[in-house]
Amino acid sequence: MQLGFIGLGAMGRPMAEHLLRAGHELSVWSRRPESAAALIEQGAQWYASPAEVARHAEIVCTNVTGSADVEGLAFGSEGLAAGLAPGSLHVDFSTIAPSAARHIAARYAATGVDFVDAPVSGGSGGAQSATLSIMWGGESALAARLQSVFGVLGKTIVRVGETGAGQVTKACNQMVMVAAIEAAAEAALLATAAGVDFSKVRAAMLHGSAGSRVLDVFGGRMAMKDFRRGVEARLHHKDYALLMDEAARIGAPLPVSGAVAQQLNSLMSRGWGTDDTSSLLRVLEAGCGTDPAR
Amino acid sequence: MKVGFIGLGLMGRPMALHLEKAGHELHLWARRPESLAPFAKVNAKTHASPAEVAAHAEVVIVMVADAPDVEKVCLGADGLAAGGKAGLIVVDMSTINPNAARSIGLRLAEKGIDFVDAPVSGGETGAINAALTVMAGGKAAAFEKVRPLLEKMGKSVTLIGDSGAGQVAKACNQILTGVGTLAVAEAFNFAAKSGVDPARVREALLGGFAYSKILENHGQRMLDRNFKPGFKAWMHQKDLRIVMEEAHRLGLMLPSAAVTAQVFNAIVGSGMGENDSISALMLLEKMSTPG
Repeated sequence: MQLGFIGLGAMGRPMAEHLLRAGHELSVWSRRPESAAALIEQGAQWYASPAEVARHAEIVCTNVTGSADVEGLAFGSEGLAAGLAPGSLHVDFSTIAPSAARHIAARYAATGVDFVDAPVSGGSGGAQSATLSIMWGGESALAARLQSVFGVLGKTIVRVGETGAGQVTKACNQMVMVAAIEAAAEAALLATAAGVDFSKVRAAMLHGSAGSRVLDVFGGRMAMKDFRRGVEARLHHKDYALLMDEAARIGAPLPVSGAVAQQLNSLMSRGWGTDDTSSLLRVLEAGCGTDPAR
Repeated sequence: MKVGFIGLGLMGRPMALHLEKAGHELHLWARRPESLAPFAKVNAKTHASPAEVAAHAEVVIVMVADAPDVEKVCLGADGLAAGGKAGLIVVDMSTINPNAARSIGLRLAEKGIDFVDAPVSGGETGAINAALTVMAGGKAAAFEKVRPLLEKMGKSVTLIGDSGAGQVAKACNQILTGVGTLAVAEAFNFAAKSGVDPARVREALLGGFAYSKILENHGQRMLDRNFKPGFKAWMHQKDLRIVMEEAHRLGLMLPSAAVTAQVFNAIVGSGMGENDSISALMLLEKMSTPG
């Protein structure tokens, strides 16, 4: 199949490589051409604009940062909309506001182009090992066409509902995950402050009712005091703005998430935005007399 | 003075009438023509667009719902910027995001138009009694020119700082009134569920360190179970959303405001948004009662 891919960062590049290796023809464009160099060596074709990529693809995939980036790629000058033929498809893997996804889909609909929001979970590790969870929203009739893309990239593929449903799911995913990271951090703080070794506490909890993937992975980083590797906390912070805004728009009370968002705000100010989100433990320590910065 | 006024709702209408009573000539535009009816017999001229209002006025006051509305009135097609001459002063008395206010100010400045953000506290009652608290941000020279107008609508008029500073002060006001209203509602619900008369508790506390205007006024309305607005809960929710957006942008930890914002989400989500924000009490009562 003729595919396009834009957004060749830590997530996008391994995803694009998998698509190439699966035998798809791949057209790419990038703001910084050097981020496409490795893919071009592997056989991808470079074009001078998103519109040009769109002219050479039945499905264009994007994976960028925010709502405004996706909108710019789609409808900016020489954007995808200028090149996508009726019947073609834009699949966006970025995490953006559900309302932005719905808005983009509505604008495309006027020209007969389909839009699917398909945010992913699993991080760059999941992108590299093609084990992402893909949660998508859009016309169910598109499922068969999407399978040739999604099947190459992910392990768990769920169509959640209409356009925007993928982004709502991603918001729920981030909410549950970061709240669990905060809970693990609070357990680590309490255990340590009470004079108990958290790595033993974690080991004891891991296979009981409180066991979870977050306690395993992020709790492990907390036990090792290894805050550098993993997911950049600033990305979770960005996602929290989206989900808290959605909650206010709807009138949905999210008391725990509201509190977790404040811990993330503090994490950003303390300068740990490019470290792993297990740094939420360091935010707690800063208020506990074991602050390493003191 | 020739004063433009855009946004003739619950707050804007009495505010504009105070200015007319003080001898100013009003220049009006309204999205819905029926909003102009109360001005039929006073010294007011109506216009076809904000641009036309700007062309006829020395100062234009804006009192609308949210940042996109202010932006549209100021910078949209046929907006104030399209008709205003250099030297015009636009005073925005709406409550919007401080950052949005700064950016609108900068864009108007390109046309030589001064922008003062001057949000108010005091609600509809304050507007009717010309007893609003006005918190302003902008250049001192522009503020001094419009101060006499603001004093016709408000009792306390303060220049807080540069552009956006008025909105920052209003955000602080909404933190205090939001958290404070919830605190009084929690105390009253706690007293009542403990079998103690909240009215007696309020009376006792008014003489002590927990005294506040919110305990006195909002507290009395809670006891009277008078949930008519006042200040509508959905507007307080909107204002707390601005607070939390700025906290996110600046990396600030606002734990109490965050919880309060979620309670206001619940008030609006459960259908009490058109009530006064003291409906926090009804929400807490509901949440502490078998379903």
